[in-house]
Amino acid sequence: MLDSLLTPSTSSHMQTSATTFDHKDFLNHIFASAPWPSVDETHAPQPPPSDVFVDSRNQQIMMMPLSSHHQNDNVDGSSAHALYSGFSATGSRPFHIPQGSGGGPMHQQGQTQRQPQQQASASTDTGGTAVSPSQSRTKVRARRGQATDPHSIAERLRRERIAERMKALQELVPNGNKTDKASMLDEIIDYVKFLQLQVKVLSMSRLGGAAYVSSQSSEAGGSHGSASSAVAGGNQPTGNSNDGLTMTEHQVAKLMEEDMGSAMQYLQGKGLCLMPISLATAISTATSHTRNSLIPGAGDVGGRPSSSNLSGKTVQTMNTLKLNSNGNCMAEGSSSIAVKEAVSISKP
Amino acid sequence: MASADKPINTDVPEKDVFALHFLQSLSNLRRQNTFNSPEKTNDRVKKIKKAAYVSMARAAGGTSRLWSRALLRRAAKETNKVVRFSRRKKRVTWLRRRSNRRDPVEEEEKEAERLRNLVPGGGAMETSKLIEETAYYIKCLSMQVKVMQCLVDGLSPK
Repeated sequence: MLDSLLTPSTSSHMQTSATTFDHKDFLNHIFASAPWPSVDETHAPQPPPSDVFVDSRNQQIMMMPLSSHHQNDNVDGSSAHALYSGFSATGSRPFHIPQGSGGGPMHQQGQTQRQPQQQASASTDTGGTAVSPSQSRTKVRARRGQATDPHSIAERLRRERIAERMKALQELVPNGNKTDKASMLDEIIDYVKFLQLQVKVLSMSRLGGAAYVSSQSSEAGGSHGSASSAVAGGNQPTGNSNDGLTMTEHQVAKLMEEDMGSAMQYLQGKGLCLMPISLATAISTATSHTRNSLIPGAGDVGGRPSSSNLSGKTVQTMNTLKLNSNGNCMAEGSSSIAVKEAVSISKP
Repeated sequence: MASADKPINTDVPEKDVFALHFLQSLSNLRRQNTFNSPEKTNDRVKKIKKAAYVSMARAAGGTSRLWSRALLRRAAKETNKVVRFSRRKKRVTWLRRRSNRRDPVEEEEKEAERLRNLVPGGGAMETSKLIEETAYYIKCLSMQVKVMQCLVDGLSPK
Protein backbone atom coordinates (compact mmCIF):
# COMPACT_ATOMS: atom_id res chain seq x y z
CA MET A 1 0.00 0.00 0.00
CA LEU A 2 2.81 2.26 0.77
CA ASP A 3 4.25 1.59 -2.61
CA SER A 4 1.06 2.31 -4.43
CA LEU A 5 0.57 5.46 -2.50
CA LEU A 6 4.01 6.71 -2.91
CA THR A 7 5.19 5.55 -6.24
CA PRO A 8 2.77 7.01 -8.76
CA SER A 9 2.36 10.40 -7.21
CA THR A 10 5.84 10.91 -6.06
CA SER A 11 7.73 9.25 -8.79
CA SER A 12 7.76 12.40 -10.77
CA HIS A 13 8.61 14.54 -7.80
CA MET A 14 10.60 12.45 -5.51
CA GLN A 15 12.68 10.76 -8.08
CA THR A 16 13.90 13.99 -9.47
CA SER A 17 14.17 15.53 -6.09
CA ALA A 18 15.81 12.54 -4.62
CA THR A 19 18.47 12.65 -7.25
CA THR A 20 19.42 16.07 -6.08
CA PHE A 21 19.56 14.99 -2.49
CA ASP A 22 22.74 13.76 -1.11
CA HIS A 23 22.52 10.07 -1.72
CA LYS A 24 25.20 9.12 0.69
CA ASP A 25 23.43 10.65 3.63
CA PHE A 26 20.28 8.80 2.91
CA LEU A 27 21.88 5.49 2.28
CA ASN A 28 23.93 5.77 5.43
CA HIS A 29 20.92 6.73 7.35
CA ILE A 30 18.87 3.94 5.97
CA PHE A 31 21.35 1.26 6.58
CA ALA A 32 21.90 2.56 10.06
CA SER A 33 18.30 2.00 10.84
CA ALA A 34 17.13 -1.51 11.23
CA PRO A 35 13.47 -1.20 10.56
CA TRP A 36 13.41 -2.70 7.13
CA PRO A 37 11.64 -5.92 7.88
CA SER A 38 9.13 -4.41 10.27
CA VAL A 39 8.17 -1.74 7.81
CA ASP A 40 7.63 -4.28 5.15
CA GLU A 41 5.47 -6.36 7.37
CA THR A 42 3.29 -3.56 8.57
CA HIS A 43 2.79 -1.68 5.35
CA ALA A 44 2.92 -4.12 2.53
CA PRO A 45 -0.43 -5.87 2.24
CA GLN A 46 1.20 -9.10 1.21
CA PRO A 47 4.90 -9.71 1.60
CA PRO A 48 6.40 -9.43 -1.84
CA PRO A 49 8.36 -12.33 -3.27
CA SER A 50 12.05 -12.36 -2.67
CA ASP A 51 13.14 -11.33 -6.12
CA VAL A 52 10.69 -8.51 -6.30
CA PHE A 53 11.45 -7.70 -2.74
CA VAL A 54 14.68 -6.16 -3.76
CA ASP A 55 13.01 -4.02 -6.36
CA SER A 56 10.34 -2.78 -4.09
CA ARG A 57 12.99 -2.24 -1.53
CA ASN A 58 14.97 -0.20 -3.98
CA GLN A 59 11.95 1.83 -4.59
CA GLN A 60 11.37 2.05 -0.96
CA ILE A 61 14.90 3.13 -0.47
CA MET A 62 13.96 6.26 -2.23
CA MET A 63 10.76 6.63 -0.35
CA MET A 64 11.84 5.38 3.00
CA PRO A 65 13.92 8.27 4.20
CA LEU A 66 11.14 10.60 3.40
CA SER A 67 8.50 8.56 5.08
CA SER A 68 10.67 7.70 8.01
CA HIS A 69 11.10 11.36 8.60
CA HIS A 70 7.43 11.54 9.06
CA GLN A 71 7.08 8.42 11.04
CA ASN A 72 9.25 9.59 13.84
CA ASP A 73 8.53 11.96 16.61
CA ASN A 74 6.43 14.94 16.06
CA VAL A 75 9.39 17.24 16.10
CA ASP A 76 10.91 15.63 13.13
CA GLY A 77 7.56 15.15 11.60
CA SER A 78 6.84 18.82 11.76
CA SER A 79 10.18 19.74 10.31
CA ALA A 80 9.65 17.27 7.55
CA HIS A 81 6.20 18.68 7.10
CA ALA A 82 7.72 22.05 6.66
CA LEU A 83 10.16 20.52 4.29
CA TYR A 84 7.52 19.01 2.11
CA SER A 85 5.00 21.75 2.32
CA GLY A 86 6.74 23.30 -0.59
CA PHE A 87 5.92 20.36 -2.78
CA SER A 88 2.66 19.98 -4.49
CA ALA A 89 -0.30 18.66 -2.59
CA THR A 90 -0.28 15.34 -4.32
CA GLY A 91 3.23 14.83 -3.23
CA SER A 92 2.70 15.69 0.35
CA ARG A 93 -0.59 14.09 0.95
CA PRO A 94 0.52 10.47 0.86
CA PHE A 95 3.01 11.19 3.56
CA HIS A 96 0.37 11.91 6.06
CA ILE A 97 -1.04 8.47 5.80
CA PRO A 98 2.06 6.46 6.58
CA GLN A 99 2.75 8.73 9.47
CA GLY A 100 -0.39 7.69 11.22
CA SER A 101 0.00 4.04 10.53
CA GLY A 102 3.70 3.76 10.83
CA GLY A 103 4.05 5.86 13.88
CA GLY A 104 3.79 2.98 16.22
CA PRO A 105 6.47 0.59 15.15
CA MET A 106 8.84 3.37 14.24
CA HIS A 107 8.63 4.90 17.60
CA GLN A 108 11.18 2.79 19.33
CA GLN A 109 13.71 3.57 16.69
CA GLY A 110 12.86 7.22 16.86
CA GLN A 111 14.95 7.90 19.91
CA THR A 112 18.05 6.27 18.58
CA GLN A 113 17.73 7.78 15.21
CA ARG A 114 16.86 11.22 16.25
CA GLN A 115 20.32 12.62 16.12
CA PRO A 116 21.33 11.45 12.68
CA GLN A 117 17.90 12.23 11.41
CA GLN A 118 18.04 15.73 12.58
CA GLN A 119 21.29 16.19 10.84
CA ALA A 120 19.91 14.56 7.78
CA SER A 121 16.82 16.67 7.94
CA ALA A 122 18.94 19.75 8.33
CA SER A 123 20.90 18.84 5.28
CA THR A 124 17.80 17.97 3.39
CA ASP A 125 16.19 21.15 4.51
CA THR A 126 18.51 23.33 2.56
CA GLY A 127 18.45 20.88 -0.22
CA GLY A 128 14.69 20.79 -0.14
CA THR A 129 14.17 24.48 -0.13
CA ALA A 130 16.71 24.74 -2.82
CA VAL A 131 14.75 22.34 -4.88
CA SER A 132 11.24 23.41 -4.13
CA PRO A 133 11.47 26.88 -5.58
CA SER A 134 12.88 25.51 -8.75
CA GLN A 135 10.04 23.11 -9.06
CA SER A 136 6.99 24.96 -7.91
CA ARG A 137 8.01 28.35 -9.30
CA THR A 138 10.78 28.69 -11.81
CA LYS A 139 13.06 30.88 -9.77
CA VAL A 140 16.71 31.30 -9.31
CA ARG A 141 18.05 28.46 -7.26
CA ALA A 142 19.09 29.53 -3.79
CA ARG A 143 22.74 29.18 -3.15
CA ARG A 144 24.11 27.60 -0.03
CA GLY A 145 25.12 30.10 2.54
CA GLN A 146 22.52 32.65 1.45
CA ALA A 147 19.25 33.14 3.15
CA THR A 148 16.67 30.91 1.62
CA ASP A 149 13.53 32.19 3.21
CA PRO A 150 10.94 33.29 0.71
CA HIS A 151 11.12 36.92 1.75
CA SER A 152 14.65 37.46 0.56
CA ILE A 153 13.98 35.45 -2.55
CA ALA A 154 11.04 37.65 -3.38
CA GLU A 155 13.09 40.68 -2.55
CA ARG A 156 15.87 39.61 -4.84
CA LEU A 157 13.44 38.83 -7.59
CA ARG A 158 11.87 42.22 -7.28
CA ARG A 159 15.23 43.89 -7.49
CA GLU A 160 16.13 41.92 -10.57
CA ARG A 161 12.90 42.83 -12.22
CA ILE A 162 13.45 46.48 -11.47
CA ALA A 163 16.98 46.35 -12.82
CA GLU A 164 15.78 44.71 -15.98
CA ARG A 165 13.25 47.40 -16.64
CA MET A 166 15.69 50.14 -15.83
CA LYS A 167 17.92 48.75 -18.51
CA ALA A 168 15.10 48.97 -20.99
CA LEU A 169 14.52 52.54 -19.95
CA GLN A 170 18.15 53.40 -20.35
CA GLU A 171 17.99 52.92 -24.08
CA LEU A 172 15.07 55.28 -24.38
CA VAL A 173 16.49 58.18 -22.51
CA PRO A 174 19.23 60.06 -24.25
CA ASN A 175 22.40 60.22 -22.23
CA GLY A 176 21.62 56.84 -20.85
CA ASN A 177 25.14 55.68 -20.50
CA LYS A 178 25.31 56.36 -16.79
CA THR A 179 25.88 53.25 -14.82
CA ASP A 180 24.88 54.71 -11.49
CA LYS A 181 21.29 53.96 -10.71
CA ALA A 182 20.67 57.21 -8.89
CA SER A 183 21.96 59.39 -11.68
CA MET A 184 20.08 57.28 -14.19
CA LEU A 185 16.86 57.92 -12.33
CA ASP A 186 17.66 61.62 -12.25
CA GLU A 187 18.13 61.58 -16.00
CA ILE A 188 14.86 59.81 -16.49
CA ILE A 189 13.00 62.25 -14.31
CA ASP A 190 14.55 65.22 -16.08
CA TYR A 191 13.71 63.75 -19.44
CA VAL A 192 10.08 63.23 -18.51
CA LYS A 193 9.89 66.79 -17.25
CA PHE A 194 11.49 68.01 -20.43
CA LEU A 195 9.02 66.14 -22.60
CA GLN A 196 6.10 67.48 -20.65
CA LEU A 197 7.50 70.97 -20.98
CA GLN A 198 7.87 70.46 -24.70
CA VAL A 199 4.24 69.49 -25.02
CA LYS A 200 3.24 72.55 -23.05
CA VAL A 201 5.37 74.88 -25.12
CA LEU A 202 4.26 73.38 -28.38
CA SER A 203 0.66 73.82 -27.44
CA MET A 204 1.45 77.39 -26.53
CA SER A 205 3.23 78.07 -29.77
CA ARG A 206 0.32 76.95 -31.84
CA LEU A 207 -1.85 79.11 -29.73
CA GLY A 208 0.57 82.02 -29.84
CA GLY A 209 0.42 82.27 -33.60
CA ALA A 210 -3.32 82.18 -33.55
CA ALA A 211 -3.57 84.84 -30.89
CA TYR A 212 -1.16 87.05 -32.74
CA VAL A 213 -3.09 86.70 -35.92
CA SER A 214 -6.39 87.39 -34.28
CA SER A 215 -5.02 90.39 -32.44
CA GLN A 216 -3.52 91.79 -35.61
CA SER A 217 -6.69 91.39 -37.53
CA SER A 218 -8.68 92.98 -34.75
CA GLU A 219 -6.34 95.93 -34.79
CA ALA A 220 -6.74 96.18 -38.51
CA GLY A 221 -10.37 96.82 -37.88
CA GLY A 222 -12.80 94.00 -37.96
CA SER A 223 -11.84 90.39 -38.17
CA HIS A 224 -14.07 87.79 -39.64
CA GLY A 225 -12.30 85.02 -37.92
CA SER A 226 -11.45 83.28 -41.13
CA ALA A 227 -8.05 82.33 -42.32
CA SER A 228 -7.90 84.62 -45.31
CA SER A 229 -8.72 87.74 -43.43
CA ALA A 230 -6.31 86.74 -40.74
CA VAL A 231 -3.58 86.43 -43.29
CA ALA A 232 -4.54 89.72 -44.81
CA GLY A 233 -4.41 91.25 -41.41
CA GLY A 234 -1.01 89.80 -40.94
CA ASN A 235 0.24 91.30 -44.14
CA GLN A 236 -0.42 94.82 -43.09
CA PRO A 237 2.21 97.37 -43.92
CA THR A 238 4.71 98.11 -41.32
CA GLY A 239 3.13 101.25 -40.05
CA ASN A 240 0.41 99.40 -38.33
CA SER A 241 2.79 96.94 -36.88
CA ASN A 242 4.98 99.66 -35.47
CA ASP A 243 2.07 101.33 -33.80
CA GLY A 244 0.94 98.06 -32.43
CA LEU A 245 4.36 97.36 -31.13
CA THR A 246 4.71 100.70 -29.45
CA MET A 247 1.45 100.09 -27.70
CA THR A 248 2.63 96.67 -26.75
CA GLU A 249 5.85 98.05 -25.40
CA HIS A 250 4.08 100.45 -23.15
CA GLN A 251 1.80 97.75 -21.98
CA VAL A 252 4.67 95.44 -21.26
CA ALA A 253 6.58 98.13 -19.44
CA LYS A 254 3.58 98.72 -17.26
CA LEU A 255 3.21 95.06 -16.55
CA MET A 256 6.83 94.56 -15.82
CA GLU A 257 6.71 96.98 -12.98
CA GLU A 258 4.20 94.87 -11.17
CA ASP A 259 5.05 91.34 -12.07
CA MET A 260 7.46 89.81 -14.51
CA GLY A 261 5.34 86.71 -14.92
CA SER A 262 2.28 88.53 -16.15
CA ALA A 263 4.40 90.54 -18.54
CA MET A 264 5.80 87.34 -19.98
CA GLN A 265 2.36 85.89 -20.31
CA TYR A 266 1.08 88.95 -22.05
CA LEU A 267 3.94 88.80 -24.47
CA GLN A 268 3.47 85.13 -25.07
CA GLY A 269 -0.15 85.70 -25.79
CA LYS A 270 0.90 88.05 -28.52
CA GLY A 271 3.43 85.62 -29.84
CA LEU A 272 6.39 87.59 -28.63
CA CYS A 273 9.12 86.78 -26.23
CA LEU A 274 11.68 88.54 -24.16
CA MET A 275 15.33 88.01 -24.87
CA PRO A 276 18.66 89.61 -24.19
CA ILE A 277 19.87 92.12 -26.73
CA SER A 278 22.91 90.10 -27.62
CA LEU A 279 20.72 87.22 -28.71
CA ALA A 280 18.52 89.57 -30.64
CA THR A 281 21.50 90.92 -32.53
CA ALA A 282 22.60 87.41 -33.30
CA ILE A 283 19.20 86.55 -34.66
CA SER A 284 18.95 89.72 -36.69
CA THR A 285 22.25 89.08 -38.36
CA ALA A 286 21.14 85.58 -39.08
CA THR A 287 17.92 86.70 -40.62
CA SER A 288 19.13 89.86 -42.30
CA HIS A 289 19.41 88.23 -45.69
CA THR A 290 15.98 86.72 -45.60
CA ARG A 291 13.85 89.35 -44.05
CA ASN A 292 13.06 91.30 -47.14
CA SER A 293 11.12 88.67 -48.96
CA LEU A 294 7.71 87.89 -47.72
CA ILE A 295 5.54 85.24 -49.21
CA PRO A 296 1.93 85.69 -48.21
CA GLY A 297 1.15 82.73 -46.09
CA ALA A 298 -2.00 81.02 -47.03
CA GLY A 299 -1.75 78.83 -44.04
CA ASP A 300 -4.20 78.11 -41.35
CA VAL A 301 -4.62 79.96 -38.13
CA GLY A 302 -2.06 77.80 -36.51
CA GLY A 303 0.76 79.49 -38.36
CA ARG A 304 2.68 82.61 -37.77
CA PRO A 305 1.90 84.43 -40.97
CA SER A 306 3.79 87.61 -40.66
CA SER A 307 6.42 86.76 -38.20
CA SER A 308 9.09 86.55 -40.84
CA ASN A 309 8.19 89.90 -42.27
CA LEU A 310 8.32 91.68 -39.03
CA SER A 311 11.11 89.84 -37.41
CA GLY A 312 13.97 91.64 -39.06
CA LYS A 313 12.44 95.05 -38.76
CA THR A 314 11.31 94.70 -35.24
CA VAL A 315 14.56 93.19 -34.20
CA GLN A 316 16.34 96.20 -35.55
CA THR A 317 14.06 98.61 -33.86
CA MET A 318 14.24 96.62 -30.73
CA ASN A 319 17.94 96.66 -30.71
CA THR A 320 17.96 100.28 -29.89
CA LEU A 321 15.34 99.91 -27.27
CA LYS A 322 16.07 99.29 -23.69
CA LEU A 323 13.07 98.47 -21.68
CA ASN A 324 14.83 98.01 -18.45
CA SER A 325 18.29 97.98 -17.09
CA ASN A 326 18.71 94.31 -17.68
CA GLY A 327 19.28 94.89 -21.29
CA ASN A 328 16.39 92.77 -22.35
CA CYS A 329 14.37 93.57 -25.39
CA MET A 330 11.33 92.31 -27.12
CA ALA A 331 11.61 90.26 -30.19
CA GLU A 332 9.51 88.11 -32.38
CA GLY A 333 9.28 84.49 -31.71
CA SER A 334 6.65 82.28 -30.33
CA SER A 335 8.63 79.99 -28.18
CA SER A 336 12.06 79.61 -26.80
CA ILE A 337 12.68 76.04 -27.71
CA ALA A 338 16.06 76.69 -29.14
CA VAL A 339 17.12 76.32 -32.67
CA LYS A 340 13.94 75.25 -34.31
CA GLU A 341 12.12 78.48 -33.71
CA ALA A 342 15.05 80.61 -34.74
CA VAL A 343 15.15 78.77 -37.99
CA SER A 344 11.46 79.19 -38.51
CA ILE A 345 11.77 82.90 -37.96
CA SER A 346 14.33 83.14 -40.66
CA LYS A 347 12.30 81.28 -43.23
CA PRO A 348 11.82 83.31 -46.41
CA MET B 1 16.17 35.77 -16.30
CA ALA B 2 14.42 33.13 -14.35
CA SER B 3 11.59 35.30 -13.21
CA ALA B 4 9.30 33.94 -15.90
CA ASP B 5 7.90 37.35 -16.84
CA LYS B 6 6.45 37.69 -20.21
CA PRO B 7 8.66 39.87 -22.41
CA ILE B 8 8.10 43.50 -21.69
CA ASN B 9 6.08 45.05 -24.44
CA THR B 10 6.66 48.73 -24.98
CA ASP B 11 5.47 49.26 -28.50
CA VAL B 12 3.51 52.37 -29.15
CA PRO B 13 1.25 52.89 -32.12
CA GLU B 14 2.56 54.69 -35.15
CA LYS B 15 2.72 58.43 -35.51
CA ASP B 16 -0.42 58.66 -37.60
CA VAL B 17 -2.55 57.27 -34.80
CA PHE B 18 -1.37 60.02 -32.52
CA ALA B 19 -1.78 62.59 -35.26
CA LEU B 20 -5.28 61.47 -35.99
CA HIS B 21 -6.40 61.71 -32.40
CA PHE B 22 -4.75 65.04 -31.88
CA LEU B 23 -6.29 66.57 -34.98
CA GLN B 24 -9.66 65.26 -34.00
CA SER B 25 -9.39 66.87 -30.60
CA LEU B 26 -8.21 70.12 -32.17
CA SER B 27 -11.11 70.24 -34.55
CA ASN B 28 -13.39 69.59 -31.61
CA LEU B 29 -11.85 72.53 -29.84
CA ARG B 30 -12.27 74.71 -32.88
CA ARG B 31 -15.92 73.93 -33.11
CA GLN B 32 -16.26 75.34 -29.66
CA ASN B 33 -15.63 78.99 -29.04
CA THR B 34 -11.94 78.97 -29.71
CA PHE B 35 -11.35 82.43 -31.08
CA ASN B 36 -11.29 84.14 -27.77
CA SER B 37 -9.66 87.42 -27.06
CA PRO B 38 -5.98 87.37 -26.18
CA GLU B 39 -6.65 88.03 -22.53
CA LYS B 40 -7.83 84.50 -22.12
CA THR B 41 -4.84 82.97 -23.77
CA ASN B 42 -4.00 81.05 -20.68
CA ASP B 43 -7.26 79.21 -20.87
CA ARG B 44 -6.67 78.42 -24.47
CA VAL B 45 -3.22 77.15 -23.70
CA LYS B 46 -4.61 74.95 -20.99
CA LYS B 47 -7.31 73.65 -23.26
CA ILE B 48 -4.91 72.79 -25.99
CA LYS B 49 -2.54 71.17 -23.57
CA LYS B 50 -5.30 69.11 -22.08
CA ALA B 51 -6.48 68.14 -25.53
CA ALA B 52 -2.97 67.07 -26.36
CA TYR B 53 -2.70 64.86 -23.30
CA VAL B 54 -6.11 63.34 -23.69
CA SER B 55 -5.57 62.58 -27.34
CA MET B 56 -2.24 61.05 -26.46
CA ALA B 57 -3.85 58.87 -23.83
CA ARG B 58 -6.49 57.71 -26.26
CA ALA B 59 -4.02 57.07 -29.02
CA ALA B 60 -1.71 55.12 -26.78
CA GLY B 61 -4.21 52.37 -26.18
CA GLY B 62 -7.20 53.80 -24.43
CA THR B 63 -7.72 52.12 -21.12
CA SER B 64 -5.24 49.35 -21.44
CA ARG B 65 -2.51 51.27 -19.69
CA LEU B 66 -2.69 52.51 -16.18
CA TRP B 67 -1.36 55.98 -16.81
CA SER B 68 -3.68 56.59 -19.71
CA ARG B 69 -6.58 55.69 -17.51
CA ALA B 70 -5.37 58.06 -14.84
CA LEU B 71 -4.97 60.84 -17.39
CA LEU B 72 -8.42 60.38 -18.79
CA ARG B 73 -9.88 60.21 -15.36
CA ARG B 74 -8.14 63.39 -14.35
CA ALA B 75 -9.35 65.16 -17.46
CA ALA B 76 -12.87 63.94 -17.06
CA LYS B 77 -12.98 65.06 -13.48
CA GLU B 78 -12.52 68.65 -14.56
CA THR B 79 -15.24 68.45 -17.12
CA ASN B 80 -17.55 66.55 -14.77
CA LYS B 81 -17.91 63.82 -17.28
CA VAL B 82 -18.68 60.36 -16.07
CA VAL B 83 -16.00 57.93 -17.08
CA ARG B 84 -16.61 54.25 -16.92
CA PHE B 85 -13.77 52.24 -15.50
CA SER B 86 -13.65 48.90 -13.82
CA ARG B 87 -14.13 48.94 -10.11
CA ARG B 88 -10.98 46.96 -9.59
CA LYS B 89 -8.81 49.98 -10.09
CA LYS B 90 -9.95 51.69 -6.94
CA ARG B 91 -9.24 48.73 -4.76
CA VAL B 92 -5.82 48.23 -6.28
CA THR B 93 -5.05 51.87 -5.76
CA TRP B 94 -5.95 51.67 -2.10
CA LEU B 95 -3.91 48.56 -1.50
CA ARG B 96 -0.93 49.88 -3.38
CA ARG B 97 -0.98 53.15 -1.53
CA ARG B 98 -0.95 51.30 1.74
CA SER B 99 1.95 49.10 0.83
CA ASN B 100 3.84 51.96 -0.74
CA ARG B 101 3.65 54.00 2.41
CA ARG B 102 5.78 51.43 4.14
CA ASP B 103 8.58 51.59 1.68
CA PRO B 104 10.15 55.05 1.64
CA VAL B 105 12.86 53.94 4.02
CA GLU B 106 14.71 52.37 1.16
CA GLU B 107 16.74 54.82 -0.80
CA GLU B 108 15.55 53.74 -4.17
CA GLU B 109 11.97 54.27 -3.16
CA LYS B 110 12.62 57.93 -2.51
CA GLU B 111 13.56 58.39 -6.11
CA ALA B 112 10.64 56.30 -7.18
CA GLU B 113 8.48 58.78 -5.32
CA ARG B 114 9.60 61.56 -7.61
CA LEU B 115 8.85 59.47 -10.64
CA ARG B 116 5.47 58.66 -9.23
CA ASN B 117 4.64 62.31 -8.98
CA LEU B 118 5.50 62.85 -12.61
CA VAL B 119 3.86 59.92 -14.27
CA PRO B 120 0.08 60.07 -14.04
CA GLY B 121 -1.37 57.28 -12.00
CA GLY B 122 1.99 56.54 -10.50
CA GLY B 123 0.82 56.30 -6.97
CA ALA B 124 -1.08 53.15 -7.69
CA MET B 125 1.76 51.09 -9.02
CA GLU B 126 4.53 49.04 -7.63
CA THR B 127 8.02 50.10 -8.51
CA SER B 128 8.70 47.58 -11.22
CA LYS B 129 5.41 48.28 -12.90
CA LEU B 130 6.05 51.98 -12.50
CA ILE B 131 9.27 51.74 -14.44
CA GLU B 132 7.58 49.84 -17.20
CA GLU B 133 4.82 52.41 -17.41
CA THR B 134 7.40 55.16 -17.43
CA ALA B 135 9.07 53.66 -20.46
CA TYR B 136 5.80 53.51 -22.30
CA TYR B 137 4.90 57.01 -21.20
CA ILE B 138 8.19 58.39 -22.44
CA LYS B 139 7.68 56.75 -25.82
CA CYS B 140 4.19 58.15 -26.12
CA LEU B 141 5.26 61.60 -25.05
CA SER B 142 8.05 61.74 -27.59
CA MET B 143 5.65 60.56 -30.27
CA GLN B 144 3.19 63.27 -29.33
CA VAL B 145 5.90 65.89 -29.37
CA LYS B 146 6.97 64.78 -32.83
CA VAL B 147 3.42 65.00 -34.07
CA MET B 148 2.89 68.45 -32.68
CA GLN B 149 6.19 69.65 -34.03
CA CYS B 150 5.32 68.34 -37.48
CA LEU B 151 2.00 70.14 -37.33
CA VAL B 152 3.60 73.39 -36.34
CA ASP B 153 6.19 73.10 -39.04
CA GLY B 154 3.69 72.13 -41.66
CA LEU B 155 1.25 74.87 -40.86
CA SER B 156 3.61 77.75 -40.31
CA PRO B 157 4.20 79.79 -43.43
CA LYS B 158 7.44 79.51 -45.25
